[in-house]
Amino acid sequence: MAQVEIRRISKIFEGHTAVSDINLVVDDGEFLVLLGPSGCGKSTLLRMIAGLEMPTSGDIVIGGKVATRLKPKDRNVAMVFQNYALYPHLTIYENIAFPLRVQGVEKSKLNQKVRWAADLVGIEPLLQRKPRQTSGGERQRTALARSLVRDPQLFLLDEPLSNLDAKLRHSSREELRRFQDRVGVTFIYVTHDQVEAMGLGDRIVVMKAGKVRQVGTPKDIYSHPADTFVATFIGSPPMNLVETGPTTVGFRPEIFLPRRGFVESANLLEAPFRIRRIEYLGGDQLIYGTVSGNLPETEVISRIPSSVRFDGAEGEEIAFAAHIEEVRYFDTETGVAVLASDVQGQTRRAGHA
Amino acid sequence: MPDARTVQPGDRTLAYITLAPSVALLLLLSAVPTITVLATAMQDVGLGSLSGPWVGLDNFVWALNYDAFWRALWNTFYWVFGSVAVEMVLGLGIALLLHQNFAMRGIARAILLAPYLIPTIVAVLVWRYMFHDIVGILNYFLMNLGLIERPLQWLGSTRWAMVSVIIVGVWKFFPFVVLALLGILQSIPQEQYEAARIDGASAFQQFWRITLPYILPVFILTALLRTIWTFHKFEIIYLLTGGGPLDVTTTLPILVYQKGFVDFELGRAAAIAILTFVILAALIAVYFMLMRRAESKQ
Repeated sequence: MAQVEIRRISKIFEGHTAVSDINLVVDDGEFLVLLGPSGCGKSTLLRMIAGLEMPTSGDIVIGGKVATRLKPKDRNVAMVFQNYALYPHLTIYENIAFPLRVQGVEKSKLNQKVRWAADLVGIEPLLQRKPRQTSGGERQRTALARSLVRDPQLFLLDEPLSNLDAKLRHSSREELRRFQDRVGVTFIYVTHDQVEAMGLGDRIVVMKAGKVRQVGTPKDIYSHPADTFVATFIGSPPMNLVETGPTTVGFRPEIFLPRRGFVESANLLEAPFRIRRIEYLGGDQLIYGTVSGNLPETEVISRIPSSVRFDGAEGEEIAFAAHIEEVRYFDTETGVAVLASDVQGQTRRAGHA
Repeated sequence: MPDARTVQPGDRTLAYITLAPSVALLLLLSAVPTITVLATAMQDVGLGSLSGPWVGLDNFVWALNYDAFWRALWNTFYWVFGSVAVEMVLGLGIALLLHQNFAMRGIARAILLAPYLIPTIVAVLVWRYMFHDIVGILNYFLMNLGLIERPLQWLGSTRWAMVSVIIVGVWKFFPFVVLALLGILQSIPQEQYEAARIDGASAFQQFWRITLPYILPVFILTALLRTIWTFHKFEIIYLLTGGGPLDVTTTLPILVYQKGFVDFELGRAAAIAILTFVILAALIAVYFMLMRRAESKQ
């Protein structure tokens, strides 16, 4: 078990900056998710923590020890790869035993360890099979078991669920989280899937173009995005953004609802909403349309639970509103979030113009 | 009622009709010559004709009692296993080298293919120059290095002739091994090595536990192909030594040629050819068994 400290880490590949000056502290026993679009540097950061890449500058401290120049094997970390990296010619048993074999662990201890790890992830009946005779989910668990036998102080996972089908991914997510609770080891988990990130992470690090855009709990990141990139990258559909001069107004689809559902009349951001299309998704319906009135004409989306009655029809214009305290504001030029108190007057002025 | 023109699954007539051209071609190219050789082997065919009186298995009995046949068989094994063993080891070594990242790797790979692409006759002429005892570059270097005192008779001595032929064979054909092994080496997922590095495997352990098992099926298959092709290789040996001196480089194909087209004993030559075929078939059977075992391990 270990705390991990990333100190001013950068990685430059032949003139291309993959990771740029990142500082981060991962707490002992924490489940930290690195989230971002492909090419944002999240995998490179993970590989530097594993020791598979050398940082161009900066330091990595694992469990209080500077590990920047240590070989991967001396860092006592385990890594689960996207394609699991199982050895095709070895049985599941031998795959799990591999880290112990190369260390020359004695037979009875090895056997005991392998069975313990296999039992923990529930693949004991498969031990004599070859990887190709097992399913994707079973391979993923084998990879977990293999990383487990060395008693690592840190688990690194590089998109371990992305090769599974949607249904299996859902149940594996749940299993993975329970697995971490049980072993209690620090996890650093890379994904581009925001649902995985929200569901798994104690905290999420949102990255873009080699830089950290925001670090926070899933709730923080969802309700207080640090900038317009985070606001639109997290949430599906993304936060609605309406440019009102120097300030951009942001509101989540699920807080933008028909005006008559609100009891109070104060503290509301109100706007007429012309419905273009209604998409029924089972639990929810998405209403696509255009706001106008006080706000400049902009395409936005509203999400209304299907359990709530909504009579609007395509082509109609209905009064919609959102609670002011749930509305977010961003600097239009930089995209960075600004405090509501700083812009309240401004928005009103813009609204009246 | 199915439409008469629709193709029904399991329609045997259609299957036979569509297969017929391939089967006919195979018969023409493979079965007909084989049967012709078999028939020739059972006749006493002399000079100037393609058939003669039937003699049953006499030619085979003669061949099995013929000293030169057994010597040629031994020479063939020497030639085949000597060449293939060196080709495989050298090929694996060079493939592993070329698999590394280094500057101008692409150029090195292209250069490496050159021997494979040079026509045999050109290569042999150049090698004969290099092997020459007086003006050859090989003796020049070896004497300058002080490894030998007098020029070696490369192609002219019973001691060095087969070694010389094997050197040329290896030089010409090891690029094939490199190519085949490089292909499989490049298909090993990089993640397997990364996982092994994190698990603490040394470079040797990575080679022994990941690389070698991964490439083994292709390695065996390549060795099999090289064995078959080397077994009936004719022109390299014939052009270099003609089978001499004193028949030390006379392999079975050379013996078949000598019997058939020097001594004009086509029946006996055909019998030796059939025996060669049987020996090679037995060899291939062993290889297939090995390969199946290697594959079941995968």
